[in-house]
Amino acid sequence: MTAAREFLRGNEALAYGALKTGLNAFFGYPITPSSEIPETLANEFGNPRYPGFKVFLQAASELEAINMVIGAASTGAKAMAATSGPGFSLKQEGISYAAAMELPMLIVDVNRGGPGLGNLGPEQTDYFQATKGGGHGGYRNIVLAPSSVPDMAAFPALAFSLAFQYRNPVLILADAFLGQLKEDLMFPEVPAQEFDTSWATTGARGPERHILSSMHLDLPELSRHSEHLRSKFEEIDRREQRSEKYQTDDADVILVAFGICARLSQRAVVMLREKGIRAGLLRPITISPFPRGELAALVQRGVKNFLVVELNTGQMLEDVRLATGGRARLASVQRVGGLLPSPLDIVRQVEAMPR
Amino acid sequence: MAGVVATEVQKSRVLVDAELCKGCDLCVVVCPQGNLSLSSSRNRSGYHPAVFSFHGVKGDCTACGLCYWVCPDFAITEVSRWKA
Amino acid sequence: MIGVEGHYEVKLGQLPTLTGKPTHYCAGCEHGTLTRLIAYALQELGARERTVLVDSVGCSVLAHEYLNTDAVQAPHGRAPAVMTGIKRMRPDLLVFAVQGDGDAVSIGLSELIYAANRGEPITCFLVNNGIYGMTGGQMAPTTPAGMITTTTPHGRDITLTGPPIDASKLLATLEGPAYVKRVLLPVTPTPSADFYNARGSMEGARSVQNAFRVQEMGGFAFVEFVSTCSVNWKMSILQSKHYAAEVLAKIFPPGLYKDKFGVEKR
Repeated sequence: MTAAREFLRGNEALAYGALKTGLNAFFGYPITPSSEIPETLANEFGNPRYPGFKVFLQAASELEAINMVIGAASTGAKAMAATSGPGFSLKQEGISYAAAMELPMLIVDVNRGGPGLGNLGPEQTDYFQATKGGGHGGYRNIVLAPSSVPDMAAFPALAFSLAFQYRNPVLILADAFLGQLKEDLMFPEVPAQEFDTSWATTGARGPERHILSSMHLDLPELSRHSEHLRSKFEEIDRREQRSEKYQTDDADVILVAFGICARLSQRAVVMLREKGIRAGLLRPITISPFPRGELAALVQRGVKNFLVVELNTGQMLEDVRLATGGRARLASVQRVGGLLPSPLDIVRQVEAMPR
Repeated sequence: MAGVVATEVQKSRVLVDAELCKGCDLCVVVCPQGNLSLSSSRNRSGYHPAVFSFHGVKGDCTACGLCYWVCPDFAITEVSRWKA
Repeated sequence: MIGVEGHYEVKLGQLPTLTGKPTHYCAGCEHGTLTRLIAYALQELGARERTVLVDSVGCSVLAHEYLNTDAVQAPHGRAPAVMTGIKRMRPDLLVFAVQGDGDAVSIGLSELIYAANRGEPITCFLVNNGIYGMTGGQMAPTTPAGMITTTTPHGRDITLTGPPIDASKLLATLEGPAYVKRVLLPVTPTPSADFYNARGSMEGARSVQNAFRVQEMGGFAFVEFVSTCSVNWKMSILQSKHYAAEVLAKIFPPGLYKDKFGVEKR
């Protein structure tokens, strides 16, 4: 495979990333700012370069789309949907079912302004919905948070890998800015991976049947199943926390940010260092499982100050508070409505922190 | 020669699984020959199961199979014809 | 002693497509009858090992306990969408669902219409008994005017709720479906008080087989079975068969509403 430099919009890069990792089926509904994903896939449907891409279907609604994903995923296929706020809410019933049925799938939410109809600006207000559940019942999603167009290109492969390894829905929570941002990138080589799909529906094999269901009417049986989901997520938490550190080794103030805020915060770190302030950035790559381990290690090392930069009114802040266990000072830079903080705003906030 | 007994051949047979039956009466009312009726005893679930008798109220069973097609509980497990 | 040699030759027998488990359906319910008709058709087609049943929500939710095939559960109303996902990835599988009137005509009407409109080669069976059975007898979109249900305790007032919806006629207006049929499934009364006609089951058996055949020919097949719910209608089993024939069948007339491939002419 020739590795060429490409210059793509975030949404397009994500679509190509999914194709290159062997996407089988896409079901979607247009919603700004995610529509470039189905549009790119519609264009590439039938391209002999992606022989695994067998189904492209624009559904009648986000609700129909997630249920089509459930169907395709039941057969062991790599199935995906992409949406934004209101559509993401419509999918929650389906995601709850998928988590209970232990189906692998990729759902992309390009977070726009909310709640309700909101606007088309970037926000990170779906953080709780994505990381804490969003649908009914006790389950967790694995959530990846890209911060760049190269991330958008690389994360579908990681997402499907995790989804099939753990038989769980995986979400990519991007923001409207990242969806539209154009950057140059090179698609990573994706090693082909084999997963056990013996659970998938293929028709009965002799007396053996595959039953993919989330209904457990017997109370102890549902308890056992839910405990199984819980211990599965505990294993995911132990093994799959991912993050990236930027200049954190000697930092005495750590910025915590993901998505477009990570880019702004990284610039702020550079500016702060030029002023002699030892700042660093911890960028979660998985926001579920949240990289508590890295945060705890920083607190252990003696870091007393954390600044959470996010596009909501304090959602990841709560996870940082939990992870730092009351042993550090927390401050935050919050913007909503689609507004972004500038790196200078972030610098000023850090300068205002007592140290 | 003493003890010659002519064995009657019942030309058709319907097997009813009494434990699956819910005594809904549908097989009884669709049978054209009246070969089925509800027992006065009860099965383990408390229902009065259907019982088959070759010589029905209106005539002998012809293995038409209507009881089989109508039963909602898979309790009519077999309809068969005698083959010499 | 005169002995007679021979054996009983099974004409209609055990079906390996049934698990043999006793059903949770109420006594006399057409869900049970339909389950048997489906099991028989799958046996005739030899399709057990390439069939996927999609469970819906309602009285049919436990269908996989009785039908001995692979099964995937769908959320309430979403079976046509889930079936679409399965069939598009695995066109070689025989995919079907049994939905109640709430699942198909209320919460899932959009999914049903769009699957029909796309002509998805799947098979949808609707058990229409004009009421919500599993949840204890609430109004359904197909509840007749005046019927007393737990959410219409004074009888359904169609000036408030609108009239019942005719799913077969609705789907037949679309170009997409290949087979739309409505069958009066329950036994029907005859002039003789103790004798009922089983033609509903026979017509039902043929319609189920046609509906699978249409899928194998690449078309969308839909069969609506006008049925009963004696428990929630608060009638005896036989009284409910009268109600189905005398009231429901007049609102939802049985018939062949669409047959693109002419399967009924064969």
